[in-house]
Amino acid sequence: MDKVTFKAGNLEEAIEGAAQILGVSKDEIEHKVVSEGKAGVLGIIGGKDIEIEAWKKISPEARGQEIMQEILNYMGLLAVAEAKTGEDREVIVDIKGEDLGQIIGKDGATIDALQVLISAALSRAYGGRIRTYVDAGGYREKQKQAIERLALSAAKDVAASGQEKVLPPMSAGERRIVHMALKDDPKITTHSEGMGRDRRLVISPR
Amino acid sequence: MKELIEYIVKNLVDKPEEVEVKELSGESSTSIGISVAEDEAGKVIGKEGRIVNALRTIAKAAGAKEMKRVSLEIITKEER
Repeated sequence: MDKVTFKAGNLEEAIEGAAQILGVSKDEIEHKVVSEGKAGVLGIIGGKDIEIEAWKKISPEARGQEIMQEILNYMGLLAVAEAKTGEDREVIVDIKGEDLGQIIGKDGATIDALQVLISAALSRAYGGRIRTYVDAGGYREKQKQAIERLALSAAKDVAASGQEKVLPPMSAGERRIVHMALKDDPKITTHSEGMGRDRRLVISPR
Repeated sequence: MKELIEYIVKNLVDKPEEVEVKELSGESSTSIGISVAEDEAGKVIGKEGRIVNALRTIAKAAGAKEMKRVSLEIITKEER
């Protein structure tokens, strides 16, 4: 984020000045007061200017892209991050380029970690939870399709046999994919059991 | 490595100016120590250690190129 500092007689003037330097209107910037001003005698003599730090407001999507790109650069990877906002207002960051294996990691461990960190960074910056997905070279989409296939075939077995079935341990995101894939199936219901890493999804006949 | 971790951690806290990252590099291993403002340790540790574990995973991925073992710890004030 590019920041500028600006000093002026009062806060309003400081914000206006900073906005002018950043080349946007004053509604499009955010600021932090660096040092409070002090009114002087007659409002002029001996007064101290207020100093602010200001920067352009940026959307969670653009900020997510910026953070991801910086991380890729620090890791020395030839890859480009692109972000968009999904249907559910979630931030989707997609990574394209070489060395995607290193970004994905074993069983997706590295990309999951990136997702946790970017989600935490955006949630802190914007106050409130911002759901974030990080994908690289279509990895998540392929994984999603594989989980959906597993879910549909397990649901078919449950409906046919009338016996409930426990799926292997999955992350919250993976369980959500199963719930979504099966939510309209009238023959079965789904719920989760167990704690932490051992939390599993159970498909039962209705 | 230090710069990477420092960049990420600064994005996780409200007082980035109090973030300090130290890197101790040996022949086959690297240790990273992170300190943040006292009231912000929870933000870099996370629920059930989710955040610090994610940081460890990233540090390992970044260290893989140099074939080094990487350890990463959050240093709280009393230990400093």
